[in-house]
Amino acid sequence: MIDIDLKCIQGKFELNAKCSIDAPVLGLFGPSGAGKSTLLAMIAGLKKPTKGHLIVDGEYLFDSIRGVDLAPHKRRMGTVFQDSLLFPHLNVRDNLSYGFNLLAKKEQYLKLPKIAELLEVGHLLAQKPHQLSGGEKQRVALGRALLTSPRLLLLDEPLASLDVRLKHQILPFLRRAKDELKIPMIYVSHAIDEILYLTPQIAMLDAGKIIAAGKFHELIHDQKVMILAQSLGLENVLHTQLLEQHPDHGYSLTSIGTQLLAIPLTEAVIGSQVSVAITANNIALSTSRIEGISIQNQLVGKVNDIQQVGTRMLVSVDVGVQLLVEVTAKSLIDMQIGQGSTVFCLFKTQSVQPFPAINPQ
Amino acid sequence: MTVSMFSLSTAEIAALTLSIKVASYCTLAICIPGIAVAWLLAKKSFIGKSLVDSFVHLPLVLPPVVPGFLLLLLLGSQGVLGKWLQQTFGISVAFTWIGAVIASAVMAFPLMVRSARLAISQVDKSLEAAAQSLGAHPLRVFLTITLPLALPGIVTGLVLAFSRSLGEFGATITFVGNIEGETRTLPLAIYTYTQMPSGDSAAIRLAVLSMLIALAALMVSDWLERKALRRIGQGLEHD
Repeated sequence: MIDIDLKCIQGKFELNAKCSIDAPVLGLFGPSGAGKSTLLAMIAGLKKPTKGHLIVDGEYLFDSIRGVDLAPHKRRMGTVFQDSLLFPHLNVRDNLSYGFNLLAKKEQYLKLPKIAELLEVGHLLAQKPHQLSGGEKQRVALGRALLTSPRLLLLDEPLASLDVRLKHQILPFLRRAKDELKIPMIYVSHAIDEILYLTPQIAMLDAGKIIAAGKFHELIHDQKVMILAQSLGLENVLHTQLLEQHPDHGYSLTSIGTQLLAIPLTEAVIGSQVSVAITANNIALSTSRIEGISIQNQLVGKVNDIQQVGTRMLVSVDVGVQLLVEVTAKSLIDMQIGQGSTVFCLFKTQSVQPFPAINPQ
Repeated sequence: MTVSMFSLSTAEIAALTLSIKVASYCTLAICIPGIAVAWLLAKKSFIGKSLVDSFVHLPLVLPPVVPGFLLLLLLGSQGVLGKWLQQTFGISVAFTWIGAVIASAVMAFPLMVRSARLAISQVDKSLEAAAQSLGAHPLRVFLTITLPLALPGIVTGLVLAFSRSLGEFGATITFVGNIEGETRTLPLAIYTYTQMPSGDSAAIRLAVLSMLIALAALMVSDWLERKALRRIGQGLEHD
């Protein structure tokens, strides 16, 4: 349980963050310059708030009234920064054990061999940071933070400096850290798909204020949230189950609830969970099932919300889970689609982006 | 001529070993205080910082005779501190090789501080923040992150200090005089020979020797610096 009420004034910019977090993973979402990194730095103790308080599991880490301001090295927060910030003069092993060695024996819950195996960096231990690829660097940075057995892991856009391919090399490890180590996290990003891959629980920060907090699919009924989310690229993330592999035809068949979904071929094991992302504006709507069309996926559902953002309409369709569809206002009128209408959500197999498989160890 | 050119007299050898001894002790003596002051100036803001900064740099801009004279006033047998040292511990530094070390340390100190300060301030602050977030106390952060990363610049500072000490003339001759075997370092010996009617060849020998030592110091510094840079994954193009 984390109780945040922090205020920070920096010139013209004012950050006023108030929320309490109970979820194992919280996605802190917002555009660049919203104050996400500043908030994280204040939680880590690397930046001093102007006033307010920060309570983690009942312990005051900062309180301007009581005059409490715990030094960063005493907060037990693991931070992963956008640039991995590995120590260039130390090899991977020494980087990983830097914080670990500072812990008392009884606090060393996580050990290097386990973390090295989990993050697949065991073969890199003797190397220096400048010999690593971007993705490897971030994995070592993550491992270094995890090895301090933090009570809270702060991830400050850890994937922002990586390209898509490398992102997909890191995300599964974050998921693994979350699922297997059960360390609470705050994940900062302006990419909604990364966040939704890890957690449905988000807090939205805009211009220094938390404008909404809760489950993403409940929040987007709020116009403010929708406008912000839409401006940053709306992605649906679905957690599906792999049913069949069709390597000859280049696709994998998955299920979401009772419906079937064709996705590009993945390497996952049959029966395992595969997460996929679909951009809201890659989905088309139809009032009936269409035969004789190359589009494989036609998920049926009920419209439960329609929001207008500029000239675009954002339609929430319940297909077992919430699916966001972006269409023009004209098409909704032409098709006479409204709240409660039954619609088919159409999208090509190739427009589905599977996240890499997390193969159980 | 060629033989006498390269065979050194006892007096010349004494000047050479004394110079190296004084320069080594001087470098050793200013190493830690130099790093400490450099850190203070690079990282901290406090009242009177610019005054401390100017004071440290003063020997760099004053005629060397002035610091030498001030040292004499302070530490000489009639000086405030000198008198006290003499009476309490029976120590006298004026006109001894230790005095020569003090004189060159004062002159070399600003060079050490300048170089170390630049190196310390150039260490990425976010690396230090990362170390702190991993649980390291600020002193540990300094010793394990800042210092190793600033090492190339600190080494440069130490070599500059060593070289400055080798070349020190004005403050030394004013404070500790020109006593053969005690305070007559290379520059003082060269000066002495040039004042003698038949001293030219000895002066030339010592001048060549000075150049060789200076050159060696620069080469060692370059080698150490490249080694330190390689440790942090930079300067690989020199391999």
